[in-house]
Amino acid sequence: MTLEGGIEYSKIAEIKGPLVIVDGVDKASFDELVEIQTTSGEKRLGKVMEVGFGKAVVQVFEGTTGLSISGTRAKFIGKTMTMPVSAEVLGRVFDGLGRPNDGLPDPIASKFLDINGEPMNPEQRDYPKDFIQTGVSVIDGMLTLVRGQKLPIFSGSGMSHNILAAQIARQATVIGSGEEFAVVFAAIGVQYSEAQYFKRSLEESGALKRSVLFLNLADDPAIERIITPRVALTVAEYLAYDLGMHVLVILTDMTNYAEALREISAAREEVPGRKGYPGYLYTDLSTIYERAGRLRDRKGSVTQMPILSMPADDITHPIPDLTGYITEGQIVLGRDLFRKGIYPPVNVLMSLSRIMKDGVGEGKTRADHMEIANQMYDAYSRAQEVRALSEIVGKAGLTGVDIKYMDVGDAFEQNVLSQGVDENRVLEETLGLEWKTASILPKGELNKVKDKFIDQYYKAS
Amino acid sequence: MTSSPALEKTVDKILNQSENELLLSLNQSLDDSKNTLSNSLSLLEQEYDRILVDGKKEADKLQKQITGSATLEARNKQLLLVEDSVEKVFAKAIEQLNDLVRNEDYTKLVTQLLDESVKGLGTSDVNIECNSKDKSVVQSILSKFSGATLSPNTVDCLGGIIVKSKDGSMTLDNTIDARIERLKPLIRKDIAIRFGR
Repeated sequence: MTLEGGIEYSKIAEIKGPLVIVDGVDKASFDELVEIQTTSGEKRLGKVMEVGFGKAVVQVFEGTTGLSISGTRAKFIGKTMTMPVSAEVLGRVFDGLGRPNDGLPDPIASKFLDINGEPMNPEQRDYPKDFIQTGVSVIDGMLTLVRGQKLPIFSGSGMSHNILAAQIARQATVIGSGEEFAVVFAAIGVQYSEAQYFKRSLEESGALKRSVLFLNLADDPAIERIITPRVALTVAEYLAYDLGMHVLVILTDMTNYAEALREISAAREEVPGRKGYPGYLYTDLSTIYERAGRLRDRKGSVTQMPILSMPADDITHPIPDLTGYITEGQIVLGRDLFRKGIYPPVNVLMSLSRIMKDGVGEGKTRADHMEIANQMYDAYSRAQEVRALSEIVGKAGLTGVDIKYMDVGDAFEQNVLSQGVDENRVLEETLGLEWKTASILPKGELNKVKDKFIDQYYKAS
Repeated sequence: MTSSPALEKTVDKILNQSENELLLSLNQSLDDSKNTLSNSLSLLEQEYDRILVDGKKEADKLQKQITGSATLEARNKQLLLVEDSVEKVFAKAIEQLNDLVRNEDYTKLVTQLLDESVKGLGTSDVNIECNSKDKSVVQSILSKFSGATLSPNTVDCLGGIIVKSKDGSMTLDNTIDARIERLKPLIRKDIAIRFGR
């Protein structure tokens, strides 16, 4: 038996927001786990944020409500927070701190992994490639998700991002035999009804078997939100690099994560940055997003789809702004499309998957994939211009080709973009719909695709 | 009745005309029917294919649902059974630890625990609490630790000691119970391995 910390201190100097300042501490270490015991015997977890001058600042995950200076004790555990991992975590539901939330015991661990993850050796990183099929036409066809990529969804308050997240979690898969796929779903600060929806949705579709669910609810202490994405990514890394699986991590809603970060920063009286968020928001977000990737000579991959709701639909807000610097593209949900009742309301003209080109094409998806996607972008962009023009000159003032472009715009929104919540479209189906839409235009207008593809796929009406 | 050739000619003409129109209309209807039939065939085939594809998708979905939930249910039952067995092993081990003989080895263990605790707290001015069975054991080793005193309070535990700094600001729980609790996840794993997990 060895001594692993375990010293309990009873001198609490101050309780401030989510922080407890413990006096007379000289052996604590940064990020060390602390067990706070209340006067009633209730135990809460926390971690060391700062240490020095005989004091330790402890951030209490479950909040400090009900704690008092007298009678509260802080036991320093002597290790950082770890997550027990094994293949048995698949099909399990955990709370935001990684504790079982499904009535089952703790998983029997193969390993205990530090939730902050091992830093990835940049030299060992492999470039993201290969396709992940989400079954959502607009994503697979035009904003393709690639294994090892980090592709966020920028949404707004009240829009259907959670429905889309659940649909992707249910349907996502990798093409090819012998490839194992798993989904790690972390709900951060979501309502109880949303958490139940995610859980039920995965259970009823049978997708829970290959998923791990972390649920941090809106009424859980905000501080727990700091931990949720980290435990989720720890599990994802284990599944990917130890078990060789391709793992898709969906983090929703990262805005709630950033809010929690702001709360702690304010309590620590740090100098605020833009909109009160801490100056290290970029660095902190990158410690999460940069955990996506694939390693050379390892079979698995970690792909991330963080979802964030932009306050007041403002894409220049610090959270989407800084996220955009780190990630490889973005999928933007549009308020106008949402109001028109289109699901999923993806504004393709504002969206982009930066490394799509490396995940599609011959041998990966289909030879014409990139070209028909470009043609769709081109045609839809032109359709928007024509729509704007027709507002001024009226439809009678448009040329025949202009009217065809307007028809393409409508057909794109109705057939390619719009999709049922439970509709899982394979890639062939998606590309077929894109060609059908592009075929509304005369052949001469299709200048982004090679003639051989036009001969093969153009569908004359 | 007298017949008028002009009238008869007109009637014949009208009859012929009507016959031609009728035949033309019939032929046209026949052509239309054939066209509709041939179009319907391709539409029918498309619809047939669509129904087959939808049916296959639905069947795949149902298969995933049924096999997914059945596999999970079986796995979860297995997890509960293993956990139950692990708990039984723990209970049995604790029962045996309760009857621990206070021999020389045990005295060495308590000495080691106290040494560790004093180093951990960073002071030898400590108060030691233990269960009633261990009072004599702790008393016998106190001379090795100047400044250490035995508290008259007793604690309910399997064995080991609780060491407190004399000002009461620091406590180190080095009882066997606390150490088992600290190492429980690792011990669970070792027990589970023996059950073939």
